[in-house]
Amino acid sequence: MSEQTAVARSPIAPAAPTVRHGWEVDATVTVGPLTLSDETPLAKVSVRAPFDGAARRALGVRYGRTGRVDLGGEGVLIAGAGPGEWLVLGAPGTGAALVASLEELLAGTGEFTSVLDLTHGRALVRLEGAAAPRVLAGVCAIDLADAVTPDGTALRTSVAAVVTDVVRDDRAGVRSYLLHGERSSGQYLADSLLEAGAGAGLEVTGFRGLG
Amino acid sequence: MMLLPCPWCGPRTATEFRFVGEARPRPDPATATPEQWRHYLYVHANPCGWSTETWYHRAGCRRYLSVERHTLTHEIRAVRDAATGTTAEAAP
Repeated sequence: MSEQTAVARSPIAPAAPTVRHGWEVDATVTVGPLTLSDETPLAKVSVRAPFDGAARRALGVRYGRTGRVDLGGEGVLIAGAGPGEWLVLGAPGTGAALVASLEELLAGTGEFTSVLDLTHGRALVRLEGAAAPRVLAGVCAIDLADAVTPDGTALRTSVAAVVTDVVRDDRAGVRSYLLHGERSSGQYLADSLLEAGAGAGLEVTGFRGLG
Repeated sequence: MMLLPCPWCGPRTATEFRFVGEARPRPDPATATPEQWRHYLYVHANPCGWSTETWYHRAGCRRYLSVERHTLTHEIRAVRDAATGTTAEAAP
């Protein structure tokens, strides 16, 4: 009898499936200037607390902004996409450890907080490239100009009519947006972005991680 | 396109919101008569002019907002968080 290993799957079907970090991911590698990657394997933890209290100070990120911090020895990205709501992104497979670290961090605040691992219930994609705002503007009504939504902005809005957390997380000076939504909308969201970006040369690439 | 100035998120298109209805005090369930409940649930003033309404920002901050809107011109003169009273000036 052969040994079997559980593999987690993203809601977005990969073109060339391979397994990394216990997840089925796309092995495709693209070097084009405009890419869409499925980042669903990243650990996704939701934190809810009073929007401007001790928990916010402990997390170090206010509503509407993002921050990269070290949490339990892991580099994580915290996005304040809603008032009193934070999304914490970490490396694949670290969800349980992130929950434990966050609970420990927030225990001393004296506030009513909740920490929940949403990794397998959500979809996450990254749209990256200088033309990313033009693609996103086709499916989203937010002003994506630097003056309004600079690097480090986190917000929730409607993207292709799907409620989505939009996190601007530029990498090496290149425009980059993380788009986070319900798992059941993941494939539709990815397809909508690919359709909106077809004219701009948007290509699919494999999982890259937080970087 | 109608823009609603959310105190938390800034100006957003009205399609991000759900219209809840005219804002008015809820009768006391312990003492309200069936007629009062029926009036509260189904009878609306529906003015042609300024109206205080409740809107839910379903695709944004997920907060209920109290909006003063002119139903003829769609002009909006005041928006605040229905639960906390937070205005755009006071939001972080």
